[in-house]
Amino acid sequence: MTMTSILKKVAMALSGLAMLGFLVMHLAGNFLLLKSAKAFNDYSAMLHSTGVLLYVAEAGLVLFFLVHVVSGVRVSRENRKARQTQYAVKATAGQATLFSRTMALSGLIILVFVPVHIAMFKFGNAGGGGGLWGLVMREFSQPLTAAWYVLAMLAVGMHLSHGVGSAFQTLGILKPTWRKPLRQAGVLLGWALALGFASIPVWALMQAQKV
Amino acid sequence: MKFTLKLWRQKGRTEPGAFETRVVEGVSEDMSFLEMLDKMNNEIEAAKDGVEPFAFDSDCREGICGTCSMVIGGRPHGPGELSTTCQIYMREFKDGETITVEPFRAAAFPVLRDSVVDRSAFDRIIGAGGYVSTNTGGAPDANALPISKADAELAMDAAQCIGCGACVAVCKNASAMLFTSAKVSHLVSLPQGKVERTPRVLAMVKQMDQEGFGNCTNEGECEAVCPKGISISHIARMNREYVRAKLFGA
Repeated sequence: MTMTSILKKVAMALSGLAMLGFLVMHLAGNFLLLKSAKAFNDYSAMLHSTGVLLYVAEAGLVLFFLVHVVSGVRVSRENRKARQTQYAVKATAGQATLFSRTMALSGLIILVFVPVHIAMFKFGNAGGGGGLWGLVMREFSQPLTAAWYVLAMLAVGMHLSHGVGSAFQTLGILKPTWRKPLRQAGVLLGWALALGFASIPVWALMQAQKV
Repeated sequence: MKFTLKLWRQKGRTEPGAFETRVVEGVSEDMSFLEMLDKMNNEIEAAKDGVEPFAFDSDCREGICGTCSMVIGGRPHGPGELSTTCQIYMREFKDGETITVEPFRAAAFPVLRDSVVDRSAFDRIIGAGGYVSTNTGGAPDANALPISKADAELAMDAAQCIGCGACVAVCKNASAMLFTSAKVSHLVSLPQGKVERTPRVLAMVKQMDQEGFGNCTNEGECEAVCPKGISISHIARMNREYVRAKLFGA
């Protein structure tokens, strides 16, 4: 399907913001891990008790993920084609950031991370005692697994620190005076989410070291 | 002052290009960058050794026409803020400095010769809809058509675009969104331009894509080098206009 440049960006912005909403809920749920095994396992059971609603939500997330990845790949390919000869001297005019320049890299890390993460916890063996809580704690007791999760969450922080503000600019739904505050709020929210998620493997690893 | 210039030399559109190093001596700090190149070209011609002068675009040399281009030291129009190449003076460089001069790089702006690029893609974007074709009759009385101060200012800010192409040159994606959005935003701010707002934004974006410009990734590098300080708020506005045209246009 051919889509104009702006429609591709709108698709990226909408799917990105939808996934951002999911991340906020996901992190809130994850913090129940810190409360108690029962609280977390009860939350998981509650989600599963919604039956078909859960499947609808999951299908939605898969769709947003695919739309985001496919448009992202197409946008980057077109952008590479738009400048075939590079400059000998490269400088930024001051508004680009390290993270805005590395969206493809951070996106790629997340692209690898998501299937690994789903395989580990959604389709992992939660029968080994302690239910899902036990599975999470066992996986994160491996320092390498915990480190990989922290690295992936840094990629999430990088991606969101440019992505959130960028999505609002692409949608163009707010007044120009909102642009800078939104961008700053996006950076703040992005890193708060990333560090929040990263705190969980770190905490779990510390718990495992204590025993 | 004395400078070492690394100049991009390319004989024609399909010829391969390469950098040539030249030393220019006896430059006054009050010379503009273009005057320094004029001096260098005079010396090249006086030498009569078969070397062609360095080709560059310029016209008004007072910062309002948008003809001069060039990427100087990695920045379109060189080191100045809100400035075109012709308004850059040699005092902004250090004596003895090596300065690299490259053409604007974009697949949609093919190099014609040395630093001269073909920017007619911009003309075709304007030709696709950057005008008002409704018959507005004879000149109306002043103030017969009330336009709010805020709208008038917004339209004037956008209308300042001189079409130089620095936004495309600096953008990591060689995107023409700032240029295209300036015209869309300018015309949609005014009652005369509102009539054709839907076909205009659709046609101009379509043309922009066809020319092979990249997609905007909202870094804002374009507004930082724009000699007229055009804000990327106009891009947000064009995005909104485009979605509006797609959803409710027909």
